[in-house]
Amino acid sequence: MTVAALAQETAPQPPASSLGKLAWQWRHNPKLELWLSWYTILVFYNVFGIVFFGITRTQPPPKAWWDLPKIVWWFHDKGWGLLVGFGIIFVMGAFATASTALITYSIRRMSVSPAFAWSYLILYSLAAVPGMLLTCIALVTGAMRPDRDPRLMGLLYDMGFLSFSGTMGIFLIGSVVWGVAILLDENAILPKWFGYFNICNALTEVVVATCCVLKSGPFAWDGVIAFYINMVVFGIYTGLFITYLRKMIEREDMDSPQVRGIR
Amino acid sequence: MTNLAKPATHVNGELILLWAMPVIWIFWLGSFLAFPGFVTPMSPKLSAQEVAAFYFDPANLPRIRYSMIVFNWFGVALIPFLAMIAMQVQRMAHRTPILTYCFIGCIAGGPTLFCIADLFWLIAAFRPERDPALVQLFNDMAWVTFTSQVAFLIAQNVFLAVAIHLDRQPRPIFPTWVAHFNLATAPAMAPAAFAAIHFDGPIAWDGALSFGLKNGAIALWIVVMTLVTGQAVYRQRHEQGAAA
Repeated sequence: MTVAALAQETAPQPPASSLGKLAWQWRHNPKLELWLSWYTILVFYNVFGIVFFGITRTQPPPKAWWDLPKIVWWFHDKGWGLLVGFGIIFVMGAFATASTALITYSIRRMSVSPAFAWSYLILYSLAAVPGMLLTCIALVTGAMRPDRDPRLMGLLYDMGFLSFSGTMGIFLIGSVVWGVAILLDENAILPKWFGYFNICNALTEVVVATCCVLKSGPFAWDGVIAFYINMVVFGIYTGLFITYLRKMIEREDMDSPQVRGIR
Repeated sequence: MTNLAKPATHVNGELILLWAMPVIWIFWLGSFLAFPGFVTPMSPKLSAQEVAAFYFDPANLPRIRYSMIVFNWFGVALIPFLAMIAMQVQRMAHRTPILTYCFIGCIAGGPTLFCIADLFWLIAAFRPERDPALVQLFNDMAWVTFTSQVAFLIAQNVFLAVAIHLDRQPRPIFPTWVAHFNLATAPAMAPAAFAAIHFDGPIAWDGALSFGLKNGAIALWIVVMTLVTGQAVYRQRHEQGAAA
């Protein structure tokens, strides 16, 4: 059956009950695939926030200037939270791909070369490995044996937090790719100012580079500039793109040749 | 994702990828059996000295190195197979390519993380004179990475299951039971994510859940998906031949 034939299906009226409505959405909502991705993004970022800020308490990050006894104490103090919290990330961390997929879709809907979309898809599919999972692996390896040689605990601590903050290029180039696509786009898929905001998000990845050199002060990985300002920009950026992707889905005309054309 | 290649060429090429799988299985199985840390899974309870003694036992060291070199060569051979499944997802009667993108987004992660674990094992085995605490560190990172990195596998199974359920056409690309099978194998891998919590019992990296169930589920998934993907590719080939 073609997509056109699918679109011509006559959907019955949704039933009154909540479960019935859900079943109707599953069966007949023409935007189901887009909404499933969008809600997956919502769930992912909520779990991500709860794990990193609540369960593991790795955000805001501990100090880069701590000495070895303090680092060993930190692993002892956070041990159970690190093992359970990052276990949750190891189960559901790759559902972030839904976000990458929906943003890739948004770029495919734009009047730009598909090369922008494929660049974004590949860059962000790669991002989770150095930018999130390597952090979790290092800190879990530390937490599983807190009686390890303190010098090695220090190494795992640095590996964890530097891979998290120091994975810059993927997010830098990825944000620029999406931003430039938005600015070039003539189909008005996303607002132009959000294209500029992408460039702003990319610049935070330039500023954070200091965390690879400095161990204290505003430019360290826990500092006002390298962490707090970055986190504020990233938080606003994430909130904005979730909102604007929702608006994009609401506006989509699934029967339009533009939407059918990217199948 | 459309018009990447002429249909006939693309299907013929897929047969090569498909029939490469049984050959690749032989390399995977051979490496798995050759690595002494898998046949009887290494215990996380070993001390640093015991770990170093295990690595640098003359009976073990060549087997560790050669098995990990072969795994390094062929572990990522899963990617072309997953790409073939992505091509089948792309043929499904969906309204958007979103689920194809979701699946493609998961393809590289699992094999890349396996490759990183493989490198940790090779680094651990590289210098017998190294401090045992460092050998243990890399051994721990290898086992944590190998065992607990199931995120991409779980997500790819769930995305594939959803894609199959939404493939609403009289003769879907994959039968519905394949969706159920994918939904069943995803949770079978989940306990392994918590392997570092315990050094004992089924959750430990050498335990029944984290080692037996997880790796069994992955092996079964690869075999079953090879068979059903093979069927889909041959059917596609037959349909395109009939249409030509």
